[in-house]
Amino acid sequence: MLANSAFDKLGFLRRLSDWTPEVAEQLAASEGIALREQHWELISLIRQYYEEFDSSPAMRPLVKYTAINLGANKGKSMYLLSLFPNSPAKICSKIAGLPKPDNCL
Amino acid sequence: MVLHTLNAAPGSTAFSDCLRLLKQSDILLLLGDGTYAALKGTDGCSELKNSGAEIHLLEPDARAAGIVDRLDMQFKLVDFDTFAALSERCPTQQAWY
Amino acid sequence: MTPSNNRSLLVIVRHSPYGSSLARTSLEVALSSATFEQAVALLFMGDGVLHLLPDQDSSGIEARNIAKLIASFPLYELDNLYVDEAALSQYGLALSDLPQNLQAVDDEAMHELLCQHDHCLGF
Repeated sequence: MLANSAFDKLGFLRRLSDWTPEVAEQLAASEGIALREQHWELISLIRQYYEEFDSSPAMRPLVKYTAINLGANKGKSMYLLSLFPNSPAKICSKIAGLPKPDNCL
Repeated sequence: MVLHTLNAAPGSTAFSDCLRLLKQSDILLLLGDGTYAALKGTDGCSELKNSGAEIHLLEPDARAAGIVDRLDMQFKLVDFDTFAALSERCPTQQAWY
Repeated sequence: MTPSNNRSLLVIVRHSPYGSSLARTSLEVALSSATFEQAVALLFMGDGVLHLLPDQDSSGIEARNIAKLIASFPLYELDNLYVDEAALSQYGLALSDLPQNLQAVDDEAMHELLCQHDHCLGF
């Protein structure tokens, strides 16, 4: 368990390098999400996005990126919403240890 | 017709980029540091005149800069109300700074 | 949606990428507008063309990599990207050196872009 000081006011991890799968579990629990295989697939994908584009995605690019990499069935807002309710781009970024997406309300 | 506002001195890239896109049919308003471009006899001033565009400068800014008596007579000093009126005349406005 | 929400926006990037926060801000404005499905185009003019250099590596200066951010534009459906032809040659760059889907424009075409868009935001 990381101490509270490792997270910012909104609960995002301050340092990307602090992230581990255990930290992801901790972040997910604070969002009331129990991580399953489908979650991990998206977490790994969004971390790949961050590596590739040096930014956390907004919803639309996340949907497109998911479609490109995991197929059209998963590249849908509904699918992402079912895994990360309310604000998938924001919550998935958070659990993946990434900064809050800039273009996200 | 584009209203260009220029707020940068003649040595800047803002000045040269602005001149590239300033057409005869456009209007240019000089404000802030842009007012120095209206100094009589300077290179910047002649480049502006060569554009053939309608050129104004914001009087309070020219006064602040202490250049009112050194301006090229061809440019018109205007106040904020005229600035607003110019904005209304032009469908597009581009700020260079 | 009212018509005023649908007005087209041209973002003009005229500064070099890492010298100030202006560059980053201009790209964020473009991305935010695209996120909210506004019609937005981006023009890299003058020193702004330096944003498009490949091989940027900002890891040593604690800044985010602008080239990588620009690579994400297609995912935001930010597809109307224009680049100042004269500035490219001034910096010895060819269109083929740069990311795809950029359209090179001359002064005349840039002026046309100003006129075509409802709003211009210069950075």
